[in-house]
Amino acid sequence: MDALTLELLNGLSLFATLAIVALGLGIVFGLMGIINLAHGEFVMIGAYVAYVTHANGLSHWLSLPLAAVVLFVLGACIEVGLIRRIHRRPEVTILATFGLSICLRQAVELIFTKDFRGVPNPVPGATRALGVLFPTYRYVLIGIAVVVVVVTLLAFTRSRFGLTVRAIVADRDLADACGVRTGIANFCAFGIGAATAGIAGALVAPLGAIEPQAGLAYLPGAFLVVIVGGFNRLWGVIAGALVVAAVQTGVIHFYDAVWAQIASLALAVLMLQLRRVPVEAANP
Amino acid sequence: MRFEAHGLRSGYGSVPVLHGVSFCVAQGEIVALVGRNGAGKTTLVRTMIGLLRATGGQLRLGGADITRVPPSRRVRAGLRAAFQERSLFSQFSVGDNLRLSGHPPAEHGRVLGMFGESLAGREAQRAGTLSGGEQKMLAAASALASTASILLMDEPTEGLQPSNVGLLGDALALARQQGRGVLLVEQHLALALRLADRFVVLEKGEIVDTGTAGEAGLGDRLSGRLAL
Ligand SMILES: Nc1ncnc2c1ncn2[C@@H]1O[C@H](COP(=O)(O)OP(=O)(O)O)[C@@H](O)[C@H]1O
Ligand SMILES: [Mg+2]
Repeated sequence: MDALTLELLNGLSLFATLAIVALGLGIVFGLMGIINLAHGEFVMIGAYVAYVTHANGLSHWLSLPLAAVVLFVLGACIEVGLIRRIHRRPEVTILATFGLSICLRQAVELIFTKDFRGVPNPVPGATRALGVLFPTYRYVLIGIAVVVVVVTLLAFTRSRFGLTVRAIVADRDLADACGVRTGIANFCAFGIGAATAGIAGALVAPLGAIEPQAGLAYLPGAFLVVIVGGFNRLWGVIAGALVVAAVQTGVIHFYDAVWAQIASLALAVLMLQLRRVPVEAANP
Repeated sequence: MRFEAHGLRSGYGSVPVLHGVSFCVAQGEIVALVGRNGAGKTTLVRTMIGLLRATGGQLRLGGADITRVPPSRRVRAGLRAAFQERSLFSQFSVGDNLRLSGHPPAEHGRVLGMFGESLAGREAQRAGTLSGGEQKMLAAASALASTASILLMDEPTEGLQPSNVGLLGDALALARQQGRGVLLVEQHLALALRLADRFVVLEKGEIVDTGTAGEAGLGDRLSGRLAL
């Protein structure tokens, strides 16, 4: 019974991490039709923001808003300087964001070297609940991630800006023809997508090594979530993260991590078969 | 303000549809664009508003070259289109559709009242659940109620009952009276002949005939053009 509870908590923690990491990827793909292969680097840079915050003797919690701001600015600059020029050509954006991911890794390496960095856990120890001991910081992570994901999605679905953005998702051409400034909406969407990745990076920073290649580990899972959750539905990120976390946790529980990866891949292939209409649906 | 097309070319991917189309719409006139199915009328409207890229030629609005300007800036410069198809966000409410088209809630009553009682008080309904004719009316009303000086109406009467065709005709005539220019794509010659000041006939992506209201034998000539 306790083993199962622990698995559930692990699954929940995986779900929260996947959801917040995939959130920005889903927003950018769903709203702009852009497959951003540099998304993992945004997460990695968020983790470095947490490292710099810690190195300057500041509280870890401060690094969450800081990472959001830094990554929003970086994302907005990338949108204006790069994405805007190519975003009607999906195959070019894939190449460009791939190149961008290399540049970002190299830039981080130049500044911080390849050395592994770390951030101490701001709330060490474990909490006993539901009959099991579970790291306290993971409870905090779950809470913050869920709040960030839900608030971001509500902002996109409930506000006037959200209406505009949803109009772009529903029918970009019609939105354009209504006079909606799809350019500004893209700018904000890309910036906000990057900002949530930054928060994700700062949030997971205390849990692992911070190094320039760290972002690579996040990309496949995030893509899987977006594929499973659906391309054109923002709330799909939550459903996708739930399914992926459940499958991975379940397979790890009954088999092992290797089979979990295989199962994830099979899930991705299956969902792609079922959905069919990826790129051109979002970006005619 | 004048809207001009000079040698406009456009199409889908590598398939050309318009092969050098030149005409203009000035303020205070209604220009009827007629042509058979597949002649390229909708393609022309979508190229004019900027959803399709012109592959050649030039578009000018009030003298300024807008050939490479994105649609939303054309709209802010005074252009507005009501599309033949997919003219609304079907998943959104009528009210949200109006908000997206730039009509603040205070104006909704006026916009929805344009066609008598048919749309009045329907703000909360999902646009996709309106009947085909109602959707056409909503799209037309939204464009007509805008402040645009040039309106592009792609077959706005398709699927409308006669009384509403009449109301739409009145609204278009009023727009002309207000000094706006209208490009009216119309299959029903009767309405076009009643309203339009000038006529442009499109065939296989080229303008094959033009005419002016009151010209002798115009109606017969146009119906000849549209017949098989
Ligand atoms: N999305 C599209 N892709 C390829 N060809 C298209 C597309 N839309 C229209 N066409 C073609 O362009 C031509 C002109 O179509 P259209 O402009 O819709 O004609 P009209 O509005 O005059 O009936 C037709 O031959 C049609 O098959
Ligand atoms: Mg048509």
